[in-house]
Amino acid sequence: MYKDKIKYTDEELVKRFQEGDERAYIELVKRYKDRLLNFVFRYLNSFEQSEDVVQDTLMKLYTSAHMYREIAKFSTWIFTIAANLAKSELRRQKRRRTISIHTMGYDNKEYEIPSDDYSPERETTSNYGEKQIQQAIDTLPDQFKTVIILREVQQLSYEEISQILNISIGTVKSRINRGRLRLQKMLKELKEQ
Amino acid sequence: MDCYSFDRIMSDYIDANLSVKQRQEANEHLSVCKRCSAKLADMKNILAEMKTLKITTSSDFESRLMDCIKNSKERKESRFIRLFQEHSRPISVIAAVFLLVATSIFVYTSVVIPNASGSLPAAEIRTTAPVNNNMQAPVNVAASAKPALSSSRAKSTLPDTNKVELPNYNQQIMTVNKNK
Repeated sequence: MYKDKIKYTDEELVKRFQEGDERAYIELVKRYKDRLLNFVFRYLNSFEQSEDVVQDTLMKLYTSAHMYREIAKFSTWIFTIAANLAKSELRRQKRRRTISIHTMGYDNKEYEIPSDDYSPERETTSNYGEKQIQQAIDTLPDQFKTVIILREVQQLSYEEISQILNISIGTVKSRINRGRLRLQKMLKELKEQ
Repeated sequence: MDCYSFDRIMSDYIDANLSVKQRQEANEHLSVCKRCSAKLADMKNILAEMKTLKITTSSDFESRLMDCIKNSKERKESRFIRLFQEHSRPISVIAAVFLLVATSIFVYTSVVIPNASGSLPAAEIRTTAPVNNNMQAPVNVAASAKPALSSSRAKSTLPDTNKVELPNYNQQIMTVNKNK
């Protein structure tokens, strides 16, 4: 691990790793593991699966670091990988859920598969708790969900989101606006329940 | 500005992406509309809360990741070794055949082809007497190249018109030698 962490930017660390310095990889893992998990978890709402996706993302960084070119920011590159893997995982989850619903009999009414492997109960001082916010995020359609997480949770700029999702900045703005309104509406409904 | 218009620009208002004029209009609307003011405050609240959402990986995450990397490396290496051990005989045969073919090509290109091109079809070249003594003989290079490159079977196929008449250099050389 590097003692003088501030000395190296992410891009410099990747370059060092590309040159064979494994300590640079470990430093990148330390910097990004929680950020990536925070992003993937908001997307999948399952702690174990999210950790697996983050592990796959960081494995990909290890095996494909040579593919990175310093055209884009490293954070954009790694979030693009994580977003793609998370989307694939979500598709797989949905397929699994569809199959399990099809195989259920009429008597079995438990169609909802609750995500109970991680349930942070931490309530914040304001109106909404983390659980409620997570529930509201889950109800968002994928196109809004991704931009909202990247913008509100990860605090990425419009430009970075546009690069990660390969969409125009205009589309990013529009999706953020619509996503925020939907989220607010959903939270209001959840609060009234 | 009405409530519907404010809804459409609320996000840009929060992110400060509006022009001075648009912002002024929005502020004017907010000063008179309690509904939109409350909605804006609520939205800001939600977004502030979202910023605080934090989750951390398990304590053994890094060690698991490193194990995973180590295993995948070993698996990769052992896969290659296993592949070689399992298919050692066909791999050896393929390597031998490849070596044989490569050697044959090398021998053919370095020994056979130069010899073949070196043996000019002498019968095709009709020598003629030199035009003058300073050995300047007009030679049709393109035409002379043809029979040199073609094999001996071209002998029968080439018409007489294609035959090249070269000056008799041998005679010239002999004359020079005699003079010496």
